[in-house]
Amino acid sequence: MTHSLHRSGTLESLKGDYVWFMYQAKGINDTNIKEKAEEFIAAAELVGSENWGDVKTGPIVSYPKEYIKQNIGNKSRLRGVFTSRKQVTEFLSIIKQKNLGTSVVISGLLDEVLSACKEAGVTPHTINYSLGIWGKKELLPDDDILSITTMCGHHMISPNLVKKLVQDVKKGRITPEKAAWKLATFCPCGIFNQVRAEKLIDELKNKS
Amino acid sequence: MTVINQEKCTGCGTCVPYCPLGAISVVSKKAVIDQTICPNCYVCVRNKVCPFDAIEKQEIDTFIGQFQHIISDPVETTEQTGVPGRGTEESKTNDVTGRVKKGEVGICIDMGRPGIGCRLRDVEKVAMAVTSAGLKLEGEDTTPLAMLMEDNSKGKIKEEYLDTNVLSIIIEGKCPMETFPEIIKALQKVEKEIDTVFSLGVMVRVDENGYSPILEQMEQLGLPKPYRGKINVGLGRPLITE
Repeated sequence: MTHSLHRSGTLESLKGDYVWFMYQAKGINDTNIKEKAEEFIAAAELVGSENWGDVKTGPIVSYPKEYIKQNIGNKSRLRGVFTSRKQVTEFLSIIKQKNLGTSVVISGLLDEVLSACKEAGVTPHTINYSLGIWGKKELLPDDDILSITTMCGHHMISPNLVKKLVQDVKKGRITPEKAAWKLATFCPCGIFNQVRAEKLIDELKNKS
Repeated sequence: MTVINQEKCTGCGTCVPYCPLGAISVVSKKAVIDQTICPNCYVCVRNKVCPFDAIEKQEIDTFIGQFQHIISDPVETTEQTGVPGRGTEESKTNDVTGRVKKGEVGICIDMGRPGIGCRLRDVEKVAMAVTSAGLKLEGEDTTPLAMLMEDNSKGKIKEEYLDTNVLSIIIEGKCPMETFPEIIKALQKVEKEIDTVFSLGVMVRVDENGYSPILEQMEQLGLPKPYRGKINVGLGRPLITE
């Protein structure tokens, strides 16, 4: 999957959006995953991961953390979001020290993540570069909506739902924070950044 | 498949905005799902968006129907790859699998993304274009799309599947770095021939500073410099250094 690779938005907005992943490879290092996953979760929580989850159970915005932890198995995939480069650096430093042996991937602005790697003393191995959207781009919703919907890379969040919630915010029926949280519950992986979404919705409410 | 129980439906329209592909509408005061668009991603079912519980799942009894659901719903796992969701590995475990080595380029073409969906007919057009240009597609062990192929080496999908709509599906493969310009030229041509979008990812091994000569190739091809990416930070063990 490349569901965190193609997030859109302004550079300024993307500076508050990083996705972390723990990955095991089938037949290579896919044993004792629960134990390792708990170490990852502890590190992510220590530095303040705003959302995280296991696609097999769901995200913390929908389920109690203990419930998600209890259900972790060898096919679980742990992932979550950070809102600053500082968090990425601290997370990588901790995970490097733990030496758990599973693959770690960070998705975000290249300059920011590469700097975080350097600061944490880890060496990049492989990069998957996003070369953007191709094809019949006139079918796409506008950039403001895409900035929000692409935070669930599996596209479980409908552009029409975002538009509806923005209208609800404008009418005072819901706060930007609650609208962002609601959207986050539709992303089963836990990589939707509701903190960034709240800011984007707040900006959108003032647009005509 | 996903259907609306017409007896329970009140025609309130609450469900309409939740469908990622806009397959739900209200006709004659009842909600209906356009089955030619619905990819069976189960967003509406899983999130219980109907206040009257009128959205229901019906058993899917065809291979392509089940495939469509599994590939469109990230909660599901594809049996062949063992990976949840759309089921490819790309860069995420490359530090321990060494699937893409130094001097090679991994290509990930996310058909239908972001959020437009795609017919397999368009997937075939793109897959055939890139294989003709020298991309070797991943097989059934690493990507679900291979299960639909009549000829994976040519990107040819079985005729009976071509009208199927999916939320997205990934064409994944690799080639030597010197073939990369040909792949890009093929994509620049075929992007004008499809009725959907795709998001393009290009995966390479990098040096300790995060550099790869692919960046120079991209510049020579007139591609915008990438500013976002997914970085495998090399903490997997045993580490592949090739």
